[in-house]
Amino acid sequence: MGKGLSLSDRWVGIARFVFLAPVLILFVFFFIYPFFFTLYASLTQWRGIGRMELSGFQNYIKLFSDSTFRLALRNNTIWALAHGFIQVPLAALVAIILLRKPKGWMALRTIYFLPNVISTVALTMVWRSLYNVQFGLINEVMVKWFGMEPVNFLGSIELALGAVIFQAIIYIGYFMIIILAAGMNIPSSLYEASEIDGASVFQQTRYITVPMLRGTLVTTITLAMAYGIRHFEATYLMTGGGPSYATTTMGIELFLKMDYLRYGEASTVGILLILFGTVAIVAIRKIFGKSDPMSEMAQ
Amino acid sequence: MNQSKLKDGFFLFLKWFVLLFFLIIALLPIVWLLLNSFRSNLELQVTSFAWPEKWLFSNYRNALQVASLPRLFLNSIIASASAVVLNVLVASMAGFILAREIFKGRDVIYTVLTAGVLIPIIAFMVPYFSLVTRLGLYNTRLALIMVYASVNIPVSIFLITSFMRSIPRELEEAAIIDGCSFVQRFTKIVFPLSQSGLVTAGTFCFIYAWNDFIMAILLTSSLETRTIQLGIRFFTSQFITDYTSMFAAVILTIIPSVGAYMFLHNRIISGLTAGAVKG
Repeated sequence: MGKGLSLSDRWVGIARFVFLAPVLILFVFFFIYPFFFTLYASLTQWRGIGRMELSGFQNYIKLFSDSTFRLALRNNTIWALAHGFIQVPLAALVAIILLRKPKGWMALRTIYFLPNVISTVALTMVWRSLYNVQFGLINEVMVKWFGMEPVNFLGSIELALGAVIFQAIIYIGYFMIIILAAGMNIPSSLYEASEIDGASVFQQTRYITVPMLRGTLVTTITLAMAYGIRHFEATYLMTGGGPSYATTTMGIELFLKMDYLRYGEASTVGILLILFGTVAIVAIRKIFGKSDPMSEMAQ
Repeated sequence: MNQSKLKDGFFLFLKWFVLLFFLIIALLPIVWLLLNSFRSNLELQVTSFAWPEKWLFSNYRNALQVASLPRLFLNSIIASASAVVLNVLVASMAGFILAREIFKGRDVIYTVLTAGVLIPIIAFMVPYFSLVTRLGLYNTRLALIMVYASVNIPVSIFLITSFMRSIPRELEEAAIIDGCSFVQRFTKIVFPLSQSGLVTAGTFCFIYAWNDFIMAILLTSSLETRTIQLGIRFFTSQFITDYTSMFAAVILTIIPSVGAYMFLHNRIISGLTAGAVKG
C-alpha cells in the first residue's frame, strides 16, 4: 500500500468516530461543559438571568467567612471521617467474617447490599418514622423498656447530625462487597501454609488477611470519604439541613443557594465540592500509600 | 483445653452477633415498611412495630386510588427505561471502539470518560439546570432521560469496555474473513456476545434513575413529568392522616429496583467488584 491512508482505512477512521461520537457528545454536555461553566460562574454574582460578570474571588472569600458554610465544611468532614473510619472498618469486619464462608454467607452478602438499591426517599421516610418523638420505634423502646425520657433526635441540635450519620450504617454492604471480593483473591496457599505452622484464625486474619487487603482498604476508605464529602440526599430528606443548620452539608448549601437564585455562590460551593473531594483522595493515597501486595504479587 | 473451648465459643458468639446485627440493620427499614403497609392507622398509633392484627390489603387499594400515583409511576418507568436504552446503546458503541480497536488517543479517551466517576454530580446542579432551561427542556422527560443516561456513562463505559475486552479476538477475525463489515462486527458479534456486561451496566443505570431524587426535583415541576420519588416525598398531603396507605405506596415504589436486584444480584455484585479490587 502506498503512502497515506487507503480508502478503507479512512472509512474505518470515520466509522470509529461515528461510534464514539454519541458518548463524547453527552460527556461534553454533561461533564466537561458543566465543569468549566461552574468554574466560570463561581467567579460571578450571576443570579440566573442576564450576563455573567466576573467579580473575582468574592464568593470564595464570602463563603469562608460565612459561619453556616463553615458548619457545612465541619459536617462534611465528620461525614467523611465517619464513612472512612467507622463504616469501612465495620464493613471490613463483616467481610472478613464472610471470607470464612459461614453458613448462608452468599445470602447474607446479597441482603447486606439490599439497602443500596432502595431509594433514599423511601429509606429516609422509614428513618424519620423510627426517630419520631411521639410514635417512633426507637423512642418506644427507650421509654417502654428503659423508662427513659423521649428524645426528639432529628429536632435536636446536639443529636441530629449523629442520628443522620447513624442511619448511613445501612449502606455498609457496598464497601463490604468490595472488600469481600478482594479477600477472595488472596491465594489459599498462604492460609494452608500458616495452618501447618499452627496459626490460629485470629493470627491468620491479623498477619495474612489484613495486610493482603491493605490496598483494597485504602481504595475503599478513599471511596467512602469521597461519598462523605458529596453527601446530600439523606440529610436533605430527613432534616433539610436543620435544626438551625446543625446538619447542613456543602451539597445542601449549594441547593439552598440555588433556591435563593444565587447561582454564582452555588457554583462556588460546587467547585469547592470538587476540590475537596480531589484533595481528600490525593491526601489519603499519600498518607496510606497505594502499595497493594496483591498486585505486586501478580507481577 | 476447656479454656480454648470457651474462647472458641466466644468467637463463635461474636461472629454471629456481628452477622445478625447487620442483617437486622439491613432488613429493618424494609420489614418495618412492609408490616406497617398492612396495618391500620390505629394499630400504628398504639405501637409502631408489630405484626398486623389483620392483613389490610385495602391500604394498597387506597394507595392506588390516589389520583396521581399511576401517573407518577408511568413517568418513572418511561424516564428510567429510556435512560437505560440510551445509556447502554451509546456506551456499547463507544465500548466496542475502546475495547476492540487500536488507535492513537484511545487510552486517553477511556481514562477521561471513566474518571467522570470522581465528579460529585451534585456540584453540577447549576450548569445542569441552566443547560436544560436554555435547551428548552425544563420540565420534560427528555431532560431527565439525557441526564440519567449521561451521569451513568463513566460506570457503563468501564463495565462494558472491560467486558468486551474479554471476548476472544478469533471470533471477530473469523467473521472478517467471512466478509463481515465494521458495523456487522458490532451488531452481529460483539454486541450480542456482550449481553451479560450490557445487562449489568443497564441494571446500574436503572437503579440509579429509578431512585434518583436530586435531578428530578431540579429539572421537573409538574405532575406530567415528575417521577414517583418526588411523588412519595411531596404528594404526601393526599395521605394526610392515612400513613399506612402511604407506606403501601412506598412499598409499591421500591418493587422495581428491588425486583431488578433480586433477579440480577449476582451480576450487580460482580459488576461492583470488577474494578474496585485493583483500585
